[in-house]
Amino acid sequence: MLTIIIRSIIIYFIVLFIYRIMGKRQLGQMQPFELVLTLIIADLATIPMAEVSVPVLHGVVPLFTLVVLHFLLTLLTKCSIVLSKIISGKPSIIINPKGIDYNAMKKLNLTTDDIFAAIRECGYFNISQVQYAIMETNGKVSVMPKSEFAPATNADLNLQVDESFVPIILVSEGKILKENAKIAGLDEMQISNLVKEKGNGSLKKVLLLTVDQAGQGYIQMKSGEGKTFETQRLVSA
Amino acid sequence: MKVIHIVNLLLILFLLVGICVAEEIVVSRSLQDVQDRCLYIEQILERDDTLKTTEMALAIDNLEYNWQDDEGKLCYMVNHKNIQEIGQEIAKIKQYIASDDIDAFRVSIETIKSYCKSYMHFMGANFHNVL
Repeated sequence: MLTIIIRSIIIYFIVLFIYRIMGKRQLGQMQPFELVLTLIIADLATIPMAEVSVPVLHGVVPLFTLVVLHFLLTLLTKCSIVLSKIISGKPSIIINPKGIDYNAMKKLNLTTDDIFAAIRECGYFNISQVQYAIMETNGKVSVMPKSEFAPATNADLNLQVDESFVPIILVSEGKILKENAKIAGLDEMQISNLVKEKGNGSLKKVLLLTVDQAGQGYIQMKSGEGKTFETQRLVSA
Repeated sequence: MKVIHIVNLLLILFLLVGICVAEEIVVSRSLQDVQDRCLYIEQILERDDTLKTTEMALAIDNLEYNWQDDEGKLCYMVNHKNIQEIGQEIAKIKQYIASDDIDAFRVSIETIKSYCKSYMHFMGANFHNVL
């Protein structure tokens, strides 16, 4: 039994390593060859884990071979448009200004229910609101609404709005995130002072502290409500 | 493609090549060694016509000792079930020496040779094995 435990740990870290070097795409964003790879990896990893007579190498070698194959296919799809189309397919227009493209629908093996579900996911409940719907190579549907149904933007309304910034997390659950502090151009002493001043407590009691480039901050203590505050504009961010 | 990815890819490629080469060398050498020792045992048997000689006992001991050593290495790369028969036959051989059962002894020696030969064929990357 100890053998199985040790093998499981080894295989777990190998599969983890493989997924880390493969990238961060989620299941729904995978290209067909990536999905195939994921399914095979899951199956291959269990063989040496459960079967003690099979050497771990019998699981590791096919896993690494698939990783090499994955890299090669990725490289090929990047180098050649033709190969990319063969391996990953190409996006298909399923709705155009004339309506649903029946041929595309049949080719992709879709039903009208599937198309309606896809456009509903994008926030459109009536097909007459949609100018174009495109099925991407990863199976997701992108929708372009007709102009009269597109949400108004600030530019459409000629509104002058302040630029928005991404907040930087400085403290999370009582711990200073040093890398973020460096990006914000603040040292530990300055952050501690900020916590004392705005949160009336010690660093350990902070649940979350964020600051953006414009100097807008948010602090929440572990026992208390969150509140926004203003501080000096960050220079380095 | 990032440099780190290329480095990872090259490392994995080297690892795969290394494993294939190591497997080829270790498995071939170990199985060939067993086959050679079996041939030597057969030669002793032809000459003496009995199993109860010092030379035979020494040859069997050497076969068993070397196999135990090689089996440990083979277990890293070969399914344990595929090679356990060789160990079992070697264990039987020792019994046959005690009872001086020459016919059964010959069968066991042939079986070991046959296992080695078939596994060496089974391991190789040829058209039949790939498909």
